[in-house]
Amino acid sequence: MKRVPGSSGAQGGLYAAPSIFWLSVFFLAPLAIIVAYSFLTPGARGGVEWTPTLDAYRAIANPTFAKVTLNTILVAIGATAITLLIAVPCGYYMARSERQTLLLMLIMIPFWTNFLIRIYAWIAILGNEGFLNDILLATGLAKQSVRFLYNRGAVMLVLVYTYLPYAILPLYSTIDKFDFSLLEAARDLGASKLGAINKVLLPNIKGGILTAFLFTFIPIFGAYAVPLLVGGTESYMLGNLIADELTKSRDWPLASAISLVITLVTTIGVLLLLRANGNAVLGGSGDGEPAVSEPAAAIGGSR
Amino acid sequence: MKKNLFMAAFAATMCLVLSACGGAAEKLYLFNWIYYIPDDVIEDFTKETGIKVIVDSYASNEEMYNKIVAGGGGYDIVVPSGDYVSIMIAEGLLEPIDKTKVPNFGNLDPAAIARIGFDAGNTHSVPFMMGAAGVSVNKTKVSGYDRSWSIFDRSDLQGRMTMLDDMREVLGAALKTLGYSVNDPDPAHLEQARQVVERWKPNLVKFDAEAFAKSFAAGEFWVVQGYAENVFIEYPEEKRGDVDFFFPKEGTPMYMDSFCVLKGSKNAEQAYKFIDYMLRPDIAARVSDYLMLPSPNVPARALMKVTPNYQFSDLDRGEFKEDLGQETLKLYNDIWRRIRVGN
Repeated sequence: MKRVPGSSGAQGGLYAAPSIFWLSVFFLAPLAIIVAYSFLTPGARGGVEWTPTLDAYRAIANPTFAKVTLNTILVAIGATAITLLIAVPCGYYMARSERQTLLLMLIMIPFWTNFLIRIYAWIAILGNEGFLNDILLATGLAKQSVRFLYNRGAVMLVLVYTYLPYAILPLYSTIDKFDFSLLEAARDLGASKLGAINKVLLPNIKGGILTAFLFTFIPIFGAYAVPLLVGGTESYMLGNLIADELTKSRDWPLASAISLVITLVTTIGVLLLLRANGNAVLGGSGDGEPAVSEPAAAIGGSR
Repeated sequence: MKKNLFMAAFAATMCLVLSACGGAAEKLYLFNWIYYIPDDVIEDFTKETGIKVIVDSYASNEEMYNKIVAGGGGYDIVVPSGDYVSIMIAEGLLEPIDKTKVPNFGNLDPAAIARIGFDAGNTHSVPFMMGAAGVSVNKTKVSGYDRSWSIFDRSDLQGRMTMLDDMREVLGAALKTLGYSVNDPDPAHLEQARQVVERWKPNLVKFDAEAFAKSFAAGEFWVVQGYAENVFIEYPEEKRGDVDFFFPKEGTPMYMDSFCVLKGSKNAEQAYKFIDYMLRPDIAARVSDYLMLPSPNVPARALMKVTPNYQFSDLDRGEFKEDLGQETLKLYNDIWRRIRVGN
């Protein structure tokens, strides 16, 4: 950071101008509008009236919102955890494979098809009359069709499917930079296979795990289309609530207030994670790891 | 009325493409429901009058209303449903209708017009189409049912039934089941209606106004609440006989979509010509054939070539959805939110 030569102040400002412009126009200004709207009175039929009130925040204190928030948190944490559990071995395998380009292509190919069409494909596979049920019925494994869709499990499954590539890619690029001879060294020094992975690999790729976590948790927390299409009567998430308040109930301040809560929760979460990442292992479920992670980090020089 | 959003986006693009070509002097800007008027009907209007029609589409009243209020568009004609006609009159967004410029107004069914409460006397609106959401049953899978809202009480059909993700339609069905008006403002009645919906809810797969028709066509869902035009647009024609579409005997919430001229329209003369053209029996019949819906246009009924999905008389027990007013709307919203979220 300090290596920038010359009069860093003026030049730095010049370099930063485009991104500052971009961020203020497309991020800060909309955010300011959301904040402002959340403190106003809903207009008669959508929009807002310029009378300040805290009604929107009072409405959020309602137990109905707590229930949706809880459901959203459960789905988001569950889906993110499953995604990471699948993504870490995938990234590891890709990094060690000799056909990296091919595997990368395979990860990317789903992006060629529209996201909604891929959700409809899941409906065609898992539906009451879907392919899977056809097979189950034809082979006699089931007497009548099994209801896979329209519940929380289906929402999580499709969310994991959707965001898996976003988790695999950063993990792959981090693991790819990992010096695998360190694993051999750990084994030579008597670590078990699992121990070597836990104490040497994971601490060194925690940056990738963090990125993967953020790339999956944040969009899942605001998911809208997936619970709408494969969710059931009980799969309402905060994203759906915002859309309904905005378009159906036309309570824009309430929608703004809910959006703001989401933004705050994610921001606080991210800040906590980033701070934790400074000196402790991210995603290490145990408590004993921090002590080991430091030397490991020193060797690997993780980000 | 609620139409498929994804189709809306596609058709909006098509409209842009289509409107890019041609170049008549007189113009008319029409903001209409998606898939409501067949393209050739509009092309023929241009051929007859030389007026070029620029069409934009929307998928819900809310979408249309928000765009107009935000000052968007510069449209001449909009086609709101009844409750939005009264909202837009109250907000001063509509021009009064000069009926002398719509000689074909007399073709409209007086019985239908007499039921209008949202713009009694049609001072600001000219009725176009009316209908209601009904219940579609896949007869190959379901039998021995009553043509009543009580079909949603059947727990043996659990996981095979959907209702619309639309507060007015679902609460309206419950209110009618209890024998109340679909516009009932009484909190005690609404609480009873909420309990009826809560009773139905465990038997429903979901509340869905977007994707249910596809799944119904695929045999995935067996009993769905929805508009006939939405259900049958997805349904394979040869299997049409497998479907029983009915309006429950207790009654249904009804819609009436009407042509309205927006305040400040620069092409009001052209707008009147277009509205009158749409009320001509041959044109009204073509629209009804396309939508497979009965026509409120009396002389048009004899000219229809397609058997509509239901008859006008089936709507006898229907009731138009009216604007609820702010206080009652809030009550409906709160109850609906409780139902959707699960207490």
